[in-house]
Amino acid sequence: MIQRYRASAGIMLAPAVTLIGIFILLPMLLTVWLSFQDWSTQTPFSSASFIGLDNFREIFGASSVGRDFKGALTNTAIYTALSVILILPLSVAFGLMVYQHDVAGGTALRTVLFSTYMVPMIAVALVWSKLYSPSEGPLNQMLGLIGIGPQPFLSSPRSALVSIVLLNVWQQMGYFTVLAIAGLTQIPGSLYEAAKLDGANRLEQFRFITLPLMRRTLLFSAVIAIINAVQVFEPVALITQGGPVGSTNVLTYHIRRVGIERAQGGLGSAMAVMLMLSLIVVVCALFALANRKDQE
Amino acid sequence: MSFAWTSKLALAAGLAILPATAWAQSVNISYLTHWSPETVALLEAAAKDYAKANPDVSVTVRAVPFGDLLTTLRSQGGGSDGPTIGGIYDLWLPELARDKLVAPAPDAVASEVKGAWPAGVTSAASVGGKLYGIPNEIDVYALNYNKALFKQAGIAAPPKTWDEFKDAAKKLTNKEAGEQGFGMINSWAAGVVHPFASLLVSNGGELVKDGKPALDSPQAAQTFQLYEDLIKSSASVPAMATADANTTGPFLDNFVSGKTGMIIMANWWESALKTGMGDKFADIATAPIPVGPSGDKPHSISYSWMTVVNANAGAAEQKAAWEFLAWLNNPKSGKNGASAMSDILMSMGILPSRLSDIEAHKDKLGSEFLSGYVSVLTDAKPFPVVPGGQEFSESLQQTLEALQYGQVSAKDAQATAQADATSILERAAK
Repeated sequence: MIQRYRASAGIMLAPAVTLIGIFILLPMLLTVWLSFQDWSTQTPFSSASFIGLDNFREIFGASSVGRDFKGALTNTAIYTALSVILILPLSVAFGLMVYQHDVAGGTALRTVLFSTYMVPMIAVALVWSKLYSPSEGPLNQMLGLIGIGPQPFLSSPRSALVSIVLLNVWQQMGYFTVLAIAGLTQIPGSLYEAAKLDGANRLEQFRFITLPLMRRTLLFSAVIAIINAVQVFEPVALITQGGPVGSTNVLTYHIRRVGIERAQGGLGSAMAVMLMLSLIVVVCALFALANRKDQE
Repeated sequence: MSFAWTSKLALAAGLAILPATAWAQSVNISYLTHWSPETVALLEAAAKDYAKANPDVSVTVRAVPFGDLLTTLRSQGGGSDGPTIGGIYDLWLPELARDKLVAPAPDAVASEVKGAWPAGVTSAASVGGKLYGIPNEIDVYALNYNKALFKQAGIAAPPKTWDEFKDAAKKLTNKEAGEQGFGMINSWAAGVVHPFASLLVSNGGELVKDGKPALDSPQAAQTFQLYEDLIKSSASVPAMATADANTTGPFLDNFVSGKTGMIIMANWWESALKTGMGDKFADIATAPIPVGPSGDKPHSISYSWMTVVNANAGAAEQKAAWEFLAWLNNPKSGKNGASAMSDILMSMGILPSRLSDIEAHKDKLGSEFLSGYVSVLTDAKPFPVVPGGQEFSESLQQTLEALQYGQVSAKDAQATAQADATSILERAAK
């Protein structure tokens, strides 16, 4: 009986497991295997030759390959951290504003907020590259009206990455606000009523009811925001090309340059493996932190 | 023979030749370029002309931004469905040929090219003695300057030496008005490296000598120092130098709006200047690259572009592609003895490289803007075409940008550039 049950379960699981194996696990394993090979992306896999950890030594070495990779890894980490730090609080703030039942036009505001997420990145990049224009850009003109001198935005290595982060936050905000609203709807209204009877003010209600009960939503938002941020590619490819001085050269863009443009498949795969490992470590750490808080 | 038999025979013959006819009509070739929509329209018009005499061949044109051209060729050129023809920069050829992405030219094409193009241009389209592409454009760098700004600053003539150059840049700079004397470029490898290389060769130096980087020379040290001096004196402002994926952006905007007095740039940007400046384009003049303290006379960097054929395309597509390219570059396909390709190039202010095309466009090449480029062509030095050349360019770009933004000194920039170039070229040569 148990054997028949196992057989039928195996048959039912087989299609999903096969598809996952072919389209997810196999490419991942292939990337890991290639990271230990000297291989040009323009040649068959059979031409790859095993070189052990040389690719990893190279990408963490002192040569231009290592310098560029470490720079791209740092840029990606900064971009991700800034994106998450800005997106999460803002999405909760916007979510609270839009979720208030007594605010007129809440639905319209929700639609406006979400609309930025639906705009294609190519359009966002075109508009923002003009907004950021140092000489004729509207942002500098507006800053000029309040007495602030022209800012270099994308033209300076100090501000280019932050400028790309702001563009990302603007585009993603609507999506994360919707997630925040979904989290808010899960909080029973009776808790707020009880808190009011106990004399809790709005700030206390937010601190002791809203925030703790939104932890799961915020965890999910943080994971998605991290994954989205780590995969940033389009604004860099469309606007800055990784410059100036490599200040916006993020890992996905750099891997494309190394792996495809220069056809250095082994090096590109080693970089991709490091990106994957970094992402796994960060997401696992986040879940571990959340679990510890839950246990407390 | 009865009518019925005649009809049957005709039908059988028709059926027999049908596959051949259908095959002949189905040769579709695609042409990948980075040209602007206006230029693509000219190429499409030329393809239509070709189709009149060759109805069995259809040519479709696809354009991508310059920044995506090499990636597209590499990612799609490995298959038979990739672009049949690609317009490429000569620096990319050694590696594309090594990876067997481009096909050697047929003997007939190779012998015509060898007889009709200058030897230097032909050699840039060849690897190991084999010709891989039909050269079309040649680009060379010169000093572009704004005559109106020169007049305002009281400068009578374009600078001939680096001392005059630095002096002019200083006089043209007005920090309060957001004006810079000399415009550098960043965020675009060729835009950063080619002007630097033009100044270097005008100072008697070289980027690569006998296949090895030569950035540790005293001439190179002086060129790095010139950059540092221009930045430190605020005669060049890096924040005004950014380029985007389409090789336009603030560096171009600042020059067309009169906020940059001088720039070192190639001839092909004539059309961008005309579009951006309108009537004010008349203020722009061209002069040879100023000569450095160790240089003998003005030199410049030149590079060429060519059209190559996908080595993985089907035999029929490859044959059709070479025939189309041979027609496109033939003196009979354009106007007044010029090739159709050269007519397209001249619409952008790009110098054609075929000798008969230079002769056919003699009048237009004598314009005030272009004649300055034609005059420096003789002494121009080709940008080194070596395996790893693109990576070398991108690495030098990073170092020069770090120097522009004051992150490294001229001395450190020189040491880093030489060390990086050595490691990149050694690895690529393996």
